[in-house]
Amino acid sequence: MKFTRPASRRTRRVLALAAIPAAALAALTACSSGSTSSAPAGGASVTGTGPATGSPLTVADVAPFSGADASLGPTYLASCYAATAAINANGGVQGHTLTCKSVDTRGDPADAVPAVNQMFASTSSLALVIGCTSDEAASVAPIINAHKMAMFCMTGQSEFDSVHFPYFYRLVPPDLEESYADVAIAQQLGYKRIALAFGNDIGSQTFIQPAIAALKKAGITLATNQALDLTATTFRSEAEAIVASHPDAIMTEALGSADPTLFQEIQQLNGGKVIPIIGTSAAISPAFFKAAAAAVGASAFVSNFHADNLVTETSGPAYQAFSAALLAQQGKVPGATGNFSTYLSAPGGVHLYDGINLAALAMIMSKSTQPSVYGADIIAIGNGRPGATVCYSFATCAALLKSGKAIRYEGPGGPTNFDSFHDSTGIFQVDTYSASGAVNVTGNLSAAQLRALSS
Amino acid sequence: MTIFLSSVGFGLVTASVLAIASVGFTLQFAVTDVLNLAYGAVMIAGAFLAYLLNSHGVNIWVAAVVTAAACAAGSVLLNAGVYAPFQRRGTAPITMVIVSLGMTLIIEFGVQAIAGGTSVSYKVSEGPSVRADGFTLTAVQFAVIGLAVLTMAGTHVLLRYTRLGKAMRATAANRTLARNCGIRAGRVITATWAITGALCGLAGVVFGMDAGSFDATSTDLFLIMILAATFLGGPGQAYGAMLGAVVIGLATEISAAYITADYKYVVAFVALLVVLGVRPTGLLGKAAT
Repeated sequence: MKFTRPASRRTRRVLALAAIPAAALAALTACSSGSTSSAPAGGASVTGTGPATGSPLTVADVAPFSGADASLGPTYLASCYAATAAINANGGVQGHTLTCKSVDTRGDPADAVPAVNQMFASTSSLALVIGCTSDEAASVAPIINAHKMAMFCMTGQSEFDSVHFPYFYRLVPPDLEESYADVAIAQQLGYKRIALAFGNDIGSQTFIQPAIAALKKAGITLATNQALDLTATTFRSEAEAIVASHPDAIMTEALGSADPTLFQEIQQLNGGKVIPIIGTSAAISPAFFKAAAAAVGASAFVSNFHADNLVTETSGPAYQAFSAALLAQQGKVPGATGNFSTYLSAPGGVHLYDGINLAALAMIMSKSTQPSVYGADIIAIGNGRPGATVCYSFATCAALLKSGKAIRYEGPGGPTNFDSFHDSTGIFQVDTYSASGAVNVTGNLSAAQLRALSS
Repeated sequence: MTIFLSSVGFGLVTASVLAIASVGFTLQFAVTDVLNLAYGAVMIAGAFLAYLLNSHGVNIWVAAVVTAAACAAGSVLLNAGVYAPFQRRGTAPITMVIVSLGMTLIIEFGVQAIAGGTSVSYKVSEGPSVRADGFTLTAVQFAVIGLAVLTMAGTHVLLRYTRLGKAMRATAANRTLARNCGIRAGRVITATWAITGALCGLAGVVFGMDAGSFDATSTDLFLIMILAATFLGGPGQAYGAMLGAVVIGLATEISAAYITADYKYVVAFVALLVVLGVRPTGLLGKAAT
């Protein structure tokens, strides 16, 4: 017995028409929130007994691929491609290859949470999460942790300094320390008046209070503090306020088009001159260089720009392995633009490459692709045990593990020292750009310098 | 006084970009009955087309003309392929808004998929700056203001003195009556999509020039400013949109100078709410009879 009558032809036509944009939107959403990229692959399921031998495991890059911080996702993806290709070329892990998957958070918690939930629902072979920037870490880290999935996050938020998430790992310093590093650069360069211009996103705003406190401690005058709305299209009023405050330099982090636009408007209002800029490590990326250099001219930009960055290797066996693995991926990473070699110094590129290697080696050491099993060995391999052999690449470390030796992995990001919250922080260097976008290291910042600026 | 003059200068530039965009948007809405929220997405698609041409050595002003033509064609196709079929089937106006919202995402993500997530800038010389007691504008900014004035004058001539303009006004006022008077409303609507599409493309290019650096999502907030200028002036009122653009442009920049830049959009929208509270139909809008 039928209780409904068949749809009329007209109704069917309307439904069909409505289905077109609906299907397009659904496809668009699916495309934007997750797409698997095929660097050679391998992984572990979150629940159950794990994937079949030989099936690929997935490393998910949970990061902004669209929106104001869209340059971050491809940076991390470059490190994922490099690490997984090198791992796969050396036998993979536990009979699995590794593959990379991009999960677009749009840099917004509201988009990140459903994207991560969808990732878990649709990725049975997930073995590791990388990315989770300050834009979304606070909202997605608890979810990832609840799924008992290991994650290497690129967030400096201070809440992760003291809240324990068993599956959370961090190879980058808290924003607090990076703020001190920026102020230390200002001290080194002899600046007396600093203007702050940070984006109104979560990740950038966390710099401000520590920076203000450190400036005071350093005896540097805060000329002005401008918050930049990352959705705005011009910052003329903010630029006017900055120029009028006569700073020696601007300390800034406002990704997307915000900083380049601000620099251009300051240049216009300042008689064609760019005010010296001190950026955070987020400014060390090909996308940022390309946009900023296009906005004010490459020579004007590079002659006025400094940024803090974690000390990374620029030579030696770890760097050589990293460099070879990364540069082999040139032209293969979706969304990667600009001078590809800049990724050799990009914090996300270096430290997530190390994170993936640490996780893969831990899988081999624990003979498991389950994060609940291999997690403890990430610490063991990163911190090393007494008598452990130091090794510098996945290939040599995996060979040592297979021969029964204890190892300590030291990648291009240098030695790791995880604390009880799984945070490992290094020391800072001062970076500049060349006119071609290559990164130059012009100095170092000692731990004592940063301690002197801390409250 | 220095700060005031400076912010008035900036406000005029913002108002100029906004005026070109808002006049196109409001004309489109008045004549076609579509509140096309994809307008901002078409703008940014145009801005990127101009960038593509400019990065291959084409002068930005030539690129602007090509972009205006391309966006005119694109808007006609957008109507013919998406909006018109829905309208023919009597789709409710609110549903049309949702359809246009869907088109916004499709176009914006499409641009991002092709162009990538990074910011780009035009290769254009800013030219010499003119400074006078805090009033600082570059030659390019004067050109943008001039272009806006020309566009407004052109719109005035079109609506006031041409057969097409009169037909557009008649169609906007009462489409059925216009048809009964012998006006080919279908052709008028197609012409309106072409004209407003051209304005949209032109607005995209001057938006890119004014912003200095832009990405695929840069017009998200700007679309809200277009809506604010449109409704402040009275929806469907071309002259109202011009006035609304000037008010919104000046309000954002002057308030940023005297209060704080954090609240510049808040002030603009408070002004909008106050005006709509006093005159619900907008500054130049007419009450329905």
